Amino acid sequence: MNSSDQRLPLTVITGYLGAGKTTLVNHMLRHAGGRRIMVLVNDFGDIAIDADLIESQDGDTLTLANGCICCSMGGDLFYALSDALDRQPRPDHLLIEASGVADPTRISETARAEPDLRLDGTIAVVDAVGFADRVADSRIGSSVVRQVAAADLIVITKSDLEEITELAKLKTQLAEFAPGARQLDANFGQVPLEVLLGGLPSAEVTARAHACSHHDHPDDHEDLYLRWSISGDFRYDRQTLRSLLENLPAGLLRLKGIVQFNADEGLGLVQVVGRRAEITSLSARFEGVMQTNLVAIGLKGQMEPADLDRLFA
Amino acid sequence: MQTVVYAARKIITMVPNRPEATHVAVRDGRVLAVGSLEEVSGWTSSDGGEQRLDETFADKVLLPGFVEGHAHMMAGGIWQFTYVGFEDRISPEGMLWEGLKDIDAVTQRLRQIESELAPGVPLIAWGFDPIFLTAHRLNRFDLDEVTRDRPIAVIHSNFHLMTVNSNALDLAEFDRNTDVMGVDRGEDGEPTGELQEMAAMFPVMRRLKIDIRSLARTDGGIRAYGKVCHRSGVTTATDLINDLPIEDVELIAAITGEEDYPARLVPVLNAHTAPADEIAAQALKLREMSTEKLRLGSIKIITDGSIQGFTARMRWPGYYKGPDHGIWNIPPEQLMTAVETLNAAGVHMHIHVNGDEASEVTIECVAQALTKNPNPDHRHVLQHCQLADAAQFRKIRNLGLCVNLFANHIYYFGDKHYELTVGPERAERIDACATALSEGVPLAIHSDAPVTPMGPLFTAWCAVNRVTPSGRVLGAAECISVEEALRAVTLGPAYTLHLDHEIGSIEVGKKADFTVLEDDPLAVDPMVIKDIGVWGTVLGGRLQPIS
Repeated sequence: MNSSDQRLPLTVITGYLGAGKTTLVNHMLRHAGGRRIMVLVNDFGDIAIDADLIESQDGDTLTLANGCICCSMGGDLFYALSDALDRQPRPDHLLIEASGVADPTRISETARAEPDLRLDGTIAVVDAVGFADRVADSRIGSSVVRQVAAADLIVITKSDLEEITELAKLKTQLAEFAPGARQLDANFGQVPLEVLLGGLPSAEVTARAHACSHHDHPDDHEDLYLRWSISGDFRYDRQTLRSLLENLPAGLLRLKGIVQFNADEGLGLVQVVGRRAEITSLSARFEGVMQTNLVAIGLKGQMEPADLDRLFA
Repeated sequence: MQTVVYAARKIITMVPNRPEATHVAVRDGRVLAVGSLEEVSGWTSSDGGEQRLDETFADKVLLPGFVEGHAHMMAGGIWQFTYVGFEDRISPEGMLWEGLKDIDAVTQRLRQIESELAPGVPLIAWGFDPIFLTAHRLNRFDLDEVTRDRPIAVIHSNFHLMTVNSNALDLAEFDRNTDVMGVDRGEDGEPTGELQEMAAMFPVMRRLKIDIRSLARTDGGIRAYGKVCHRSGVTTATDLINDLPIEDVELIAAITGEEDYPARLVPVLNAHTAPADEIAAQALKLREMSTEKLRLGSIKIITDGSIQGFTARMRWPGYYKGPDHGIWNIPPEQLMTAVETLNAAGVHMHIHVNGDEASEVTIECVAQALTKNPNPDHRHVLQHCQLADAAQFRKIRNLGLCVNLFANHIYYFGDKHYELTVGPERAERIDACATALSEGVPLAIHSDAPVTPMGPLFTAWCAVNRVTPSGRVLGAAECISVEEALRAVTLGPAYTLHLDHEIGSIEVGKKADFTVLEDDPLAVDPMVIKDIGVWGTVLGGRLQPIS
C-alpha cells in the first residue's frame, strides 16, 4: 500500500529528559520488522542504542544489524533532514528524537512543508511520576506543556509506579493540554510498532466490513489492542469523509488506507494518527486497488468495531 | 635584525602609563617599544642592527588591531549571493554595494543581476531588511516582476525569513492549499511569497541548494572572511561556532598560514554535536593544533534563541507583546552537565545567552561547576548576554565570567525591543555596557556578522551613542565613553579569548597587530566615529593597506 506514496514518513519523538524517549526508540529499533528506520538524535545526545543491536559504528553513525541507522543531528535539523532525504538508499522511516526542550512543531511543520516528507506523527513520551513537577517548574514547564500539546500520541511511561488516582489525574491533565491526542500506557515502551510507526497490514479484500480480531497476530499486545478493517465498494463525499475523520472513536490510534470518492473524483489515501487526519488525492494510476480498503488499530474497550462499521460502511 | 620605527599622528595604546604615543618600534613582528621617537630609538642604537624610520602612518592614527569576539566565517562566503540591504556595504573584493532605500531599488538590482545569470540558475539575494522598508512588505509580485522564469529567493538580514517568487513557490509546491506554519498567506488565500522560519524555508532552500553551512567551509569562503575582517580593520576574528572536522581544520590552517592571509582566526567548536566528555576531548586535541594565526580549543554552547524571534528565554514577566517566555535550545539540566564536564576538563567556553532567564540559569550552572572544580582564570564568556540586569552582572563578576555584549543590536533592533519585544524599561538596559564596566565585568562588544555588518568602529559607535534608527537614545545611562568602547573592541575581546598577553594593546612584547585609521576617534564628534576611514591593518609587522 505504501507504493503509492514516495514521501519519507517522519515521526517526531518528544519528551523531557528521563521520560523514556531512548527506551522507546530502542523498542522501535528492536521491533523494526524489516523497516529500515533512520534515527536522528538531537544535540548533546548520547546515541544510547542497546549494544546488542549495533553492528558497526562510523563516526557519528551507528549501523544496526537489521538495517536501521542512527546518527547525531549535530544541533542542525536542516542539514540532518537534507542528508536523510539524500541518503541512498532512502530509509523507510525517519525517526527524530527531539531534545528535551525542543519545540516539536518546528520539526513536524518542516515535515508538513517539505513535499518529499510526510509527517507520520508526533509522539510525546510522558513520565507518569515526574510530569506534574516538571509542569510546575517555571523554567521548563512551558516547554513540557508545548511538547504534549503538539502530540498526536502520548505514551505514558512508569505508570505502574504511580497510584491509580494520581494516574487518572495525570490523564485528565494531559487531555487538557492536548485535547484529542490519544494516550497509551506503556511500561518499557511496549507498544505495537504499527501504533507507533504505522504500516498497518492491508485489509483482506472482502465485500463487507468486519472486525478482524480473529486474525492471527502473534504478539502479546492482543489483550490491549483491537484491529478493524473494511474493504469493498464504499464511496464517500470528500467533505463528509473529512468530518467522519474528525469524529473517530477516542480509542482509535491509527487508521490508514485507500478510499473511493463519489462520482469521478478518484481515490484518496487516508492516514490518521491520533487526532490528526490527512487525505491525499491519488492518481488513477494507483496500482491494483480499485476500491475502499481501510485498516485501523485502537484500544480495546475504547473503540467498538460496530461504531467504525457504522461510520464507514 | 631589522627594526622599523613607525611614526604616526597618534598611537592609541590601551596602556595606562602611556595611553598615547607618536612612535612604535617593531622587530620580528612584535612591538619593541612605544613612546616618543627618542624613547623608542634607544633600542635600535644598542642592538647594532639596522633601523629604519617609516613615515607611512605620519598622518594616520594607530590602534591595537581590532578583535572581533563574536562573528561567523560565513560573513565572507555570503557575498556569493546578491546584496540587497539598506546600508551601503563593501564586498570582500572591494566593490561598493549601495544601500537600497526602497523596494523598487531592490527589484531593479535583482533585474540587473538576473540578466547576467545563466538560464536555470536560481537568483539568491541576502541582507534584505524589512525594518527599513516600510511602504509595503516585499512579496512574490515584486519578485515576479523581476522574473518568473527562474526561482528567486531573497534572504532577510536576520536569516530567519525569506521572500521568494512564484517560480520558487511552485518548486516547493506551496499554493493556496498549503497550511504550514510560516508560509505567509494573503487575504486572497494565496502565499504572499514570505516564508518565516526553518520549516517554511526548508523546501525552497533544499531545492535552490542554498547551503549556508558550506559558505564557511570552502577555500573561497575562508579567504573572503579574511578580506571582510581586513576591510573593517580587524586583525583577529572568531568564527563562533564550527563543527571543525579535521579536514576543515587542515584547510583553515593552510590558508591562514599563507603570509598574506590578513587576519588571525579563532574558530570555536560546536559543543552540540556529541556528549560533553567527547567534546572536551576534541577541544583539547584541537588546542594542540593551534598556530600563530589559528587559535583553537574553545567551545560554544547555545542555550536559547533570539529576542527579536521571541525565542530568548525570559524571566518573569516574559515578553512585552509576545507569547510566553521563549524557547530553550537545550534543557537546563543538560546545560548543567555540559558546563560541569567541560569546565572540569579545563575547556574554555563561550555560552550564548540572550534572555535574562538564559543568563540566570547559565550563571547558576557555572557557579555549581566552579564550586565542584575550581578553575582559576577560566574566563568563560557569556555571549550576547543582552538582558542581564545589575544583579546578574555582579554575579558574573564574582564568578570570573566575561561578557561579550551585542552592541550592534542596540541600533538594529532597539526600536523593536522598546515597542514590541521587551518593552521600554528592559529595552533601555539591553546590552548594558556601562553597568558591566561599573560592576567590574570584563567587557567585549561584537557584531555577530553577518547578522549585522562587521565593523568595530560601528560597534563602538553603538555602545557610545546607543541611538536607534528612530532617533531614540536607548538607555542613556548605559552609554560608555569612546575610550571604553575602543578597549571593548581590542583588549576586551582579547581577554575573552585568552589572548590579551599577545594582542589587544600596543605594548612591548606584543604582536605588532595594528588598525590604521584616517582620523582620531578620540578627537572627533562621537557621533561620527563610525564614519572614520580604515586605511588598513598591520599584522605581525606586515603592512596591509586596503587596496
